[in-house]
Amino acid sequence: MKHRIPWSALSAAVLLTGVAGAAPVDGRQVLTSTCAACHTPGADGKQPRISDIRKTPEGWDMTIARMQVWHGVQISAEERRALVKYLADTQGLAPSETAAFRQGLERRPNVADHPPNDNLAQMCARCHSFARVGLQRRDEGEWRKLVNTHLGQFPSIEYSLYGRDRDWFRIASTETAAELGKLFPLQTEAWTTWHAHAPIDPSGRWRIAGERPGSGRYSGVLTVQKAAAPDTYAARYEIEYADGRTLTGESQALVYTGYEWREQGRLGDDAIRSVYALSEDGNGLSGRWFVKDADERGGELHGTRIVDGRAGIVAVEPPFVRAGDTVEVTVAGFGLAGTPTLPAGVQLVGAAAGGPERLTLKLKVDAGAADGWHPLKLGAAEARLGVYHKIDRVQVEPAYAVARVGGDGGPMPVVPAQFQAIAWLDGADGKPGTDDDVRLGSVPASWRHENHGEAAKDMQDAQFAGRFAEAGLFQPGPAGLNPQRRFHTNNTGDLTVTATVQDGAQTLEGQAQLMVTVQRWNNPPIK
Amino acid sequence: MKTLKPMNQKADLLDDAIAQGQAEDVFLMSSVVGCTTTTDPGWEVDAFGGVSGLCQPMEADLYGCTDPCWWPAQTADSLNTHPKWTAGADAAEQDWRKLQAVFPES
Repeated sequence: MKHRIPWSALSAAVLLTGVAGAAPVDGRQVLTSTCAACHTPGADGKQPRISDIRKTPEGWDMTIARMQVWHGVQISAEERRALVKYLADTQGLAPSETAAFRQGLERRPNVADHPPNDNLAQMCARCHSFARVGLQRRDEGEWRKLVNTHLGQFPSIEYSLYGRDRDWFRIASTETAAELGKLFPLQTEAWTTWHAHAPIDPSGRWRIAGERPGSGRYSGVLTVQKAAAPDTYAARYEIEYADGRTLTGESQALVYTGYEWREQGRLGDDAIRSVYALSEDGNGLSGRWFVKDADERGGELHGTRIVDGRAGIVAVEPPFVRAGDTVEVTVAGFGLAGTPTLPAGVQLVGAAAGGPERLTLKLKVDAGAADGWHPLKLGAAEARLGVYHKIDRVQVEPAYAVARVGGDGGPMPVVPAQFQAIAWLDGADGKPGTDDDVRLGSVPASWRHENHGEAAKDMQDAQFAGRFAEAGLFQPGPAGLNPQRRFHTNNTGDLTVTATVQDGAQTLEGQAQLMVTVQRWNNPPIK
Repeated sequence: MKTLKPMNQKADLLDDAIAQGQAEDVFLMSSVVGCTTTTDPGWEVDAFGGVSGLCQPMEADLYGCTDPCWWPAQTADSLNTHPKWTAGADAAEQDWRKLQAVFPES
């Protein structure tokens, strides 16, 4: 397969948030010159504050941005990017240290935050995500300095809820600093081991799959070729959605800390950014890509490196089939060969069609086949196939979402909310909400919204807050005062969102709550 | 609320709601990433879990939030961090389109 990729452009370093550019700048040099003007090395060679912290690429970028805004540091975009690369490589986080907080890096919209306890929720996550905390490593003394920084910069922290009702500073600077120092210490075996690990080279072909809510499931191939600058790569996407639409895209990627894949490019008509993690063995890739300047829109992705002599499956489409039906199922993977081993009650009709990376199987699913997920094997490759008789319930994800008004001549764009209707089985006990429930996956739905509660009804929120524009995508109304509303209230609203799903002869509904609220002006990469 | 007395109707309502267990003072605690969970009154969501109890329209009280650094993770903190954020936008009701995003992209 030949690809016309502008290799000449790929000597550039792809950076966290900006556009690639030739990067002869030495990050270490920036650290020991620009940064050292204030962070003067001590006798031990350490630079105060900086040397006592480890962060992700996004975390370091936010630190440098803070130095620019707070202290007027003069640093070029190239220097900033080189510095982020150097610091993330030398003082980063190991894969196991970011695992619990990747949703913060991947900018997943409307995800729940789960601080370990109420104290940390109130101390840290009442303003920003706890992921922002969990993606840093410091010892107790350094966490204490961060408390001091917060109070100095944001003095009303002591007066807002959960500040004024306690001895905030004492608790934050003693108990909380100590707790964070234990939870997220500077020195860890995980980092020591990972830092000695050779950076992963993702060059090669990857079989990828995922789902973009609203657009559907997809599978494809990601081809990665090493570029001139260290740890930089050119990538090409070829993906096909379940409904047959195809997209191609080209991008440039930079691998930080040996495994943190960051990418910018195009996929179809969208300018995209990607945040993936390469697995420690170098053969797995997972994360999320999203639209530049609209990170609430995007798709999850997982991939497996195509290795000669090996086999793997990344997707089965459709992933679940109805008992009693005869359906064509496409298996996306690599090294696919042989006769499939199918779940009990599922038979292959005719021969498998296709090649080693894509096989189509015509399957007859007996009316008596058992509900649930079952193994599907092709040689050494294994996946799973879902079987159901009828959908027991529809659950809307996310169950609680926030969208934001925007636009109308203002610089902050609307932030839509994307919903999905998820089909569930109640399991053998026939009761919803128990351990044997089976989550099948997304299904097509029609969407509507209504006022949620009396206050919303009184203010006619549903009329003003926006509308469903396309499959599950709620588009909020324009920002600014609305003279048609009482008090000239913004186009905010408290809404009930309903998905209606047709499953054979039955019609099911699922609901979620949507809060259409006001803009936010502070949008760093880790919220 | 033993030592604080409500001074207006909304505060009265809130006081009553808390007394009757109808208001969750940390409605979104451990909830949606990117939203503040401090609900006095709350930036995204009010103490009742809706939006009707927010300062509305938001522009009427925006600088009452940004000047005392009340929502520094969501709005611009014009007390310390972005003191010039509101320059040339004296009346937020009319000038809100002039207010720019504050995180400097590289």
